[in-house]
Amino acid sequence: MKVLSAPISKKDIDELEVGDLIEVHGYIYAGRDSVLPKLVRLGHDNRLGDLNISLEGGVVFHSAVSIAGVGPTSSNKLEIESNMVPLSKMGVRLHIGKGAIGDDTIRGLADHHAVFAIIPPVSALLTSLVVEKEIVAFPEEGMEALFRLKVHGFTAIVAAAKGKSIFQD
Amino acid sequence: MSKEISKKIAETLIKAGTTFRADQMDAYEKAIVSETNERAKWVLETILENAKVAQDTASPLCDDTGIPHVLIEIGKDRCLSGAVMAAIQEGIAAGLRAMPGRPMALRGDAIQRLEQSGGIDGDAGAVLPAPFLIKSADENDVLRVHILLYGGGPAIRGQVKSVFHKHCMSVVIDEIVTLASEGVSKLGCTPCTLSIGIGRSQFEATALMMEAQVYGKYDIQNDLEKEITSRVNAAGHGPLGLGGDHSVLATFLRVGSQRASGVRIVSIRPDCCFEPRVASLEL
Repeated sequence: MKVLSAPISKKDIDELEVGDLIEVHGYIYAGRDSVLPKLVRLGHDNRLGDLNISLEGGVVFHSAVSIAGVGPTSSNKLEIESNMVPLSKMGVRLHIGKGAIGDDTIRGLADHHAVFAIIPPVSALLTSLVVEKEIVAFPEEGMEALFRLKVHGFTAIVAAAKGKSIFQD
Repeated sequence: MSKEISKKIAETLIKAGTTFRADQMDAYEKAIVSETNERAKWVLETILENAKVAQDTASPLCDDTGIPHVLIEIGKDRCLSGAVMAAIQEGIAAGLRAMPGRPMALRGDAIQRLEQSGGIDGDAGAVLPAPFLIKSADENDVLRVHILLYGGGPAIRGQVKSVFHKHCMSVVIDEIVTLASEGVSKLGCTPCTLSIGIGRSQFEATALMMEAQVYGKYDIQNDLEKEITSRVNAAGHGPLGLGGDHSVLATFLRVGSQRASGVRIVSIRPDCCFEPRVASLEL
């Protein structure tokens, strides 16, 4: 088990291999279909700092956040997967979700020192590991707003790294 | 009377969303023992641990608490009034608020709802159930309500398809295996349970699929169900697509009346690793 604390360095990411189990600690972002395209647009407009958002070394968890808890949604949804590489260009090192992603995305992540990890959709367990949560952008999206979470020990498995993936095994 | 019905319905919905069935728990325990892939074994153990935590704390198995679906069975000696229907609706809303369900009802007119541009209702109880399915019961004196919670992932990967059977069962089964394999490979939350209905129309096939979720048993599988499970598992996608022996835990197949025709209508839903989330009560 490799323990990672956000923000994560390029060096730590470059040491990860497909199939590694990782344990994630610290502040991460949670967002999905509605908000990830908006987050990328904010980055393109150089407005991330206005909202106190820093993506360098960041972690993005593909999840809604609601009173029912947290849990990964399918990362291969169009509006999620298509924004993984742009977010990696902006500094995101670790994308956490579920489901198989495409070869182009896998290569794009590798080009920007980023990896994709799959986390079991175990909401009862995951929710118990969230120690802080706050909305940082797009509150009008409700459970699909961009949240900042402080997590204590999310356990996931590296599914795509260095241009390789678990789906090609 | 109505308040008592609503209370029981709310409790039943919460049970559906927070509790594994006994045969489902057993299916996971057996899968853990027989799984040969260590990554897959870790996923299965984590899902089972989650189920135990959810049950102990009465918290949702999954944060996608699902869209309520209702199947009612009624015997010929019972009646189902508008007041009882309203009490069931109220019980569902109360159950969603108490569980708590995920607030995911969209506000606005048809276009706003389609575009998701009218905002999200913050009330978990605003998530309305799908239209109820009502069928005759075999017993005379029974009014039985089954509540199911449908998550979004399986809704993306589910399909209804016309199959030209060429008067050969294996053609239908082959097509089911093809459809199921495609859905399972893309569904993020596996191992799944394949729920399948075969009928004369898209509506009937999907109603039968829902019946399969209610009546299917993990520990009682007929030869066709075993064959479908085995053939889909042979691809080796495994839990969460990480490889392994258990992409599918079981298949629940319901074959209804068929028409004299060259076509069979197949409705197939790859239920996620927590589904079918179903609980039942008698009123």
